[in-house]
Amino acid sequence: MIGLIRSCSSALIKRSKKGASVKKPKGPKQKLKTLPEFQYPVSEASDRRLYVWGLAEHGALGLAISTKGKNNIAYTHNPRRLSFGERHKVVDLACGYGFTAFGVHSNDTNIVYGCGINTDSQLGYHVSDEKNKSGIIIDPRPVTLPLKESSTRVVGLAAGRAHLLILTDEGVFTLGNNGYGQCGRPIINNENYTKSKVVHHIPNIKGDRITAVSAGQDHSILLTEKGEVYAFGWGADGQTGLAHYRNEFKPSLVKGDLAGQNIIKVACVADCVLALSDKGKVFGWGNSEYGQLPVQGDTHQINIATEIHECQDLGHIVDIATGGSFCMILNNTGNVYVWGYGILGLGPQVQRVLKPTLIPSTLFGLNAYETNSQVSKIYCGISHLSAVTRTGDLYTWGNNKFGCLGLGHENNQFFPLKVAVGAQVQKVGCGVDHTIAICKPFV
Amino acid sequence: MISKKPLQLTLAILKPHVVKSPFALQKIRDIIIDNDFKVVRSRRTIITREEAEFFYADHKGKFFYNRLVTFVCSGPSDMHVLAGHDAIVKWRELMGPTKVYQAQYLAPNTIRGTFGLSDTRNAAHGSDSPESAEQEIKIFFKDFNTTKWYQIEEPFFSLGQVRFDPKAFVHIINEVDTTKSTI
Repeated sequence: MIGLIRSCSSALIKRSKKGASVKKPKGPKQKLKTLPEFQYPVSEASDRRLYVWGLAEHGALGLAISTKGKNNIAYTHNPRRLSFGERHKVVDLACGYGFTAFGVHSNDTNIVYGCGINTDSQLGYHVSDEKNKSGIIIDPRPVTLPLKESSTRVVGLAAGRAHLLILTDEGVFTLGNNGYGQCGRPIINNENYTKSKVVHHIPNIKGDRITAVSAGQDHSILLTEKGEVYAFGWGADGQTGLAHYRNEFKPSLVKGDLAGQNIIKVACVADCVLALSDKGKVFGWGNSEYGQLPVQGDTHQINIATEIHECQDLGHIVDIATGGSFCMILNNTGNVYVWGYGILGLGPQVQRVLKPTLIPSTLFGLNAYETNSQVSKIYCGISHLSAVTRTGDLYTWGNNKFGCLGLGHENNQFFPLKVAVGAQVQKVGCGVDHTIAICKPFV
Repeated sequence: MISKKPLQLTLAILKPHVVKSPFALQKIRDIIIDNDFKVVRSRRTIITREEAEFFYADHKGKFFYNRLVTFVCSGPSDMHVLAGHDAIVKWRELMGPTKVYQAQYLAPNTIRGTFGLSDTRNAAHGSDSPESAEQEIKIFFKDFNTTKWYQIEEPFFSLGQVRFDPKAFVHIINEVDTTKSTI
């Protein structure tokens, strides 16, 4: 004990001597020569880092976690760096149920890689799968696409429960489960998806270029250059917005209030869909059992796009996100509003909130000294929420199943809390029980 | 301690998204075995529309009927006839509340709270009464005769004279060793 105190105090003396010597012009220069030199690796502007957290058992994190946690389950509640991000120029990602797809810029035709559950061939077929009996891919491997040009680039990705949409310069490619027509091809009864090599191609919609893809658990949505929205797949909750509740395999124009609107974004992870117009108007359709959409009477399933007028007075809306039982919107001043059911970030309980309600912006780090900490992007998983600020900080809250909030524990989080990621967060993918962030290195 | 009360039967269905998720499937199977259920019959099949409509006839007219039927028909499901003391109540307790969005907060450690994706994609089904168990078993195991099972097989299951085949996920009655008795 005494020895420890002595060594500590001597260190203090040394340090204070060093500090005192700063003012002397010759002293510090000599001292510095004896110090070890560090050269931090300086990254290039295009370098990206991948951080992953949540349930590892599905393989969706792209790495194997050998230490098992609670209930003998492998997961990580802290962000872990995935070296795949250093070896590839990752530009986009999509997190489905237990699987992940990464879009990369490369010199070959391997522009998408995938890991996780592949039991419905949602990540396609690859020769390396022959040796693999589990149907799970641990290390990200290429998703083979029938591309015509070697210069084709990936533009967007969307992942559902067991299907994947890949938007490229050559149009959309769909893989995986088509039980409801969510791959945009005719439904085949009792189709076997194990080790299926089927990749369906949707080049365009009536000659119009497809500009974005989104996916619910079992349906798909395409956005065209004209700002039109096309949907296909499961319609039992009205989530295809086609004025019926049947399955539809053909990409079909969403009906209702979208007519004449220029839609710039569609958000969806489960069965409730939000769409945003260039004028900042918000529309919704699909499941509304938890008050996500304006309903009349006891209808819980809205099968045509319906404008959510309550969003009109909340400033110019610039981003939208939906979970399984709630919605979230962001306006151009960085204000985040939530409504629906669950842990919404408004207080220490599970709530049902029927009107868009502001989450105080101080919770995202905005104050008199930190005026730049405005929320700029929002994302939702089925039961967890996240927001990224202009400064590249990531905040998460909601259900913390398998540590998918990345906060270092498994307790549910009732307010937005900053995630300890060692880089600037640029884009987030929220799956059912895992989360992945594309980041820019600090130095 | 062996109770003289005969074992109860229930029908458990593991729904399509669970069957396609190797981790969830294994965990739920572990829960079944760890809770001393005996698996009397097992079968993997894609439920037909007719079967589903018959199965969910009670819910006809409700707003969720159509999505329930289309969901369970969307891919292979695992059907298990489970036997155990108070099997019906016990299995329903393990499953947790029907609505997943609520179950994940009210009962996070149940099967639905952990492995359910949405109120419809709620991972599992369990019979709610001995009568409905018998009816439901009949729909998916046409050659299964409940009365006969109680007469012939139940004593073996009750006395634990069964072995478990993990691959087929079913308990098999130990064959009586006839060679020994003849000596």
